[in-house]
Amino acid sequence: MSIIVAFLQAVLLVAIAPLISGIARNIRAKMHSRKGPSILQDYYDLAKLWKRCEVREGGSGLISRLMPPIYLGSFVLVAAGLPLIMQACPVPYLGDIITILYLMALPRFMFSLASIDSAGSYTAIGGVRELLVGVLVEPSLILVLFVMALAAGSTNVGVMAHAVASLEAYPFVAVVVAGIACAMACYIEMGKLPFDLAEAEQEIQEGPLAAYSGPSLAMLKLGVSVKQLVVASIFVAIFIPFGAAATTAPLDILLGFVLYIVKVLAVFLVAAVIENSVMRVRYKLLGRYTWFVVGIASLSLVFLVIGI
Amino acid sequence: MLDYSLVNVLGACLIITSMTVVLARTGKAAAYLYSLQSLVLVGLLLSLGAVTGSPELFTWGATAFATKVILVPAILLFTLKKLDNNVEVDLPPKLNPMKSVALVAVEVFVCFVAVSGIDLPTAAAVKPTLAVSLAHFFIGLTCIVIQRSIFKQIFGYCLMENGSHVTLALLAPQAPELVEIGVATDAIFAVIILAVLVWRIAHYAHTLDADDLCELKG
Repeated sequence: MSIIVAFLQAVLLVAIAPLISGIARNIRAKMHSRKGPSILQDYYDLAKLWKRCEVREGGSGLISRLMPPIYLGSFVLVAAGLPLIMQACPVPYLGDIITILYLMALPRFMFSLASIDSAGSYTAIGGVRELLVGVLVEPSLILVLFVMALAAGSTNVGVMAHAVASLEAYPFVAVVVAGIACAMACYIEMGKLPFDLAEAEQEIQEGPLAAYSGPSLAMLKLGVSVKQLVVASIFVAIFIPFGAAATTAPLDILLGFVLYIVKVLAVFLVAAVIENSVMRVRYKLLGRYTWFVVGIASLSLVFLVIGI
Repeated sequence: MLDYSLVNVLGACLIITSMTVVLARTGKAAAYLYSLQSLVLVGLLLSLGAVTGSPELFTWGATAFATKVILVPAILLFTLKKLDNNVEVDLPPKLNPMKSVALVAVEVFVCFVAVSGIDLPTAAAVKPTLAVSLAHFFIGLTCIVIQRSIFKQIFGYCLMENGSHVTLALLAPQAPELVEIGVATDAIFAVIILAVLVWRIAHYAHTLDADDLCELKG
């Protein structure tokens, strides 16, 4: 049963990722007083890109060719292991925070490697930006997950979700503060303004995306939307697991599924509103904002050590 | 729920609210947030009174509500109103306020290490809160050091004062009302004197920037 759930939730996340991204674009258009594209626009884009033939840059090698499937594949793998619908991980091996963190670091590594591998002269600049965001945000995310691992007594995300859902995660304030820090870190990871603009593939800031075309670009675009959904889901799975199925009874799973969709949509709505009320920050000033996240994350660690 | 864990949770809320006081951009917001922090302090005094069964702490809570939640913020807001419009009150702090959060975390940790060496029967269950109250002294000091505006530096003093109030309540819950009156009136008069000083300085020097004011000496 749990294997089926794991498979289904990976397929589901890939299937609805373009829809969620389309809804986010629509909300942005509405906030700008524009009519905006249809919420299915991302599906049309992907279908069109998939039909196009692929054009490669002269001089780019194997890394560039491997990057799109690895990028998409790692996030799909993370999606399969998260306790989204149930409180326990469908595949326990994939639900370990260390696995999750490495699976999220692998696409970033490949992404920056591809930005050097590309023959274009500007892609490396975008790669640097991507790496900088990673360096600034990942420590906070690791710290938060470490705090949760100590609070729940396990590095498995499913156990953490169960501990939070049954209000057993011990130092209560530490968990709440860790949740706030995790929300901020996940928001930055999602590649939203003011830190990043995930769909700006024509710009220098997205690095190697400018060098891809056809099915590879489609895979990367899908990968970026899946990444946003996966990162939001990590936050939802660990800190808002309320309502997720505690058993494998079909009715519980159905309820958990409906609640999961509602929670993720709420997270994206909040993210879209924040995104559209700020402007993009110069990447040299990113550190100013991420210091705040590091501060909150370390505060949660201190609360954990103190025991409140 | 009514046990020492509630006291400790309120102690954590005290840290969070005092951090918002340090981070507040405008003097007005800082005054309101200070009022909120004092409200948490009153809650802490009352819950401690209920847990330890000492009626003195309830009267402490009542006087703290009158003085710290209402009177001190009112004095500060009144001062803000009296200042000339051409005097800049909301100067940006010297340290990036985002970094000060990490600094506060370090201070709380250091204080916890310091407190864990203390072995008092009255403070065994509330050691985290004792660390929090001690940390307030350093948070107040941080506020005074990093803020450029002398108006906002007053909040540093107020935070230190709140910390000493909590320490007193934790270590001597049965202390008579007279001690409490000493603490409360101390805070009120100090804030009044500081507010008058700020107003006079703004009136004559037309600036509240501590760096500019340093040039006035000698």
